[in-house]
Amino acid sequence: METTLINTHVKLLASDFNALTPLPSDPSLFSRSATPSPLSRAETVGTITSRDLKPGKFLRFTIDDGTGCIPCILWLNHSNSPYFTRRSPTDVRQIAQLAASLASLVQVGVVARVRGRISGYRGVVQITVADVGVERDPNAEILHWLQCVKLAWKCYNVSPCSR
Amino acid sequence: MAAPIISFGALVTLEELTSASQHFKEGASLRVTGKLQDYNVETAIAIINDGAATLKVDTQHLKINFRMSSIYQFIGELHFDSPDEVVLKARVGRNVDGIDLNLYHQSIKLLQEFQSDQIRKQAP
Repeated sequence: METTLINTHVKLLASDFNALTPLPSDPSLFSRSATPSPLSRAETVGTITSRDLKPGKFLRFTIDDGTGCIPCILWLNHSNSPYFTRRSPTDVRQIAQLAASLASLVQVGVVARVRGRISGYRGVVQITVADVGVERDPNAEILHWLQCVKLAWKCYNVSPCSR
Repeated sequence: MAAPIISFGALVTLEELTSASQHFKEGASLRVTGKLQDYNVETAIAIINDGAATLKVDTQHLKINFRMSSIYQFIGELHFDSPDEVVLKARVGRNVDGIDLNLYHQSIKLLQEFQSDQIRKQAP
């Protein structure tokens, strides 16, 4: 199995991201027909067009990059999730503080760069957010589009033997 | 997989937005960019232009301090008040002074070509 893009934050246009489907053999990995390599992480840049905060639970938002909308979820349930009970309280507190600071950056109308794990929820592919950065350069989205197209043509969409 | 509920703003240039365009219809979600030519404080209607093309933008839901001749980008839905009166009801907007409009226009064309290519490849 081709594994070079697993754990890489692949730059994808929303139109490509929304075409991803989970691999039947491993639902934590995703692929699309034109992308031979399975993917687990993605990076997007776009305008935040919706924001739904459930305090202490999660922040759900959408990124519009002009080719589609990518749903994103930022978990804020560190204090009550069983997932974190085995970790040190200091680590959990720091992770919770980081998540809260990322959540404060997510505002409707802002252009943001979001990285995270590709996941599925109720049949929709989404990003489980690991990092958010606000982009103030008005040309940042254009650069992201060009990088996505170049990477798709030169890297993501080609079979390993033709690289 | 199923598509998300919120419509994305399709990338169009103001010059493309004519009656011949597939996007020129009631309720179409668009992303437009142009220089602020006029702004009415009472109605919150902005008029933006790009070359010779202009578009009215309803900004009543936005909190933006508009500056004449600055460049703005809006995402919203197209509405026809009458056959000759087209207005974009903006959901979000921002100042994009410093954007390279020439590169922006070329990039939109490249994206459209790329997406057509992707669709063609996925066709059985």
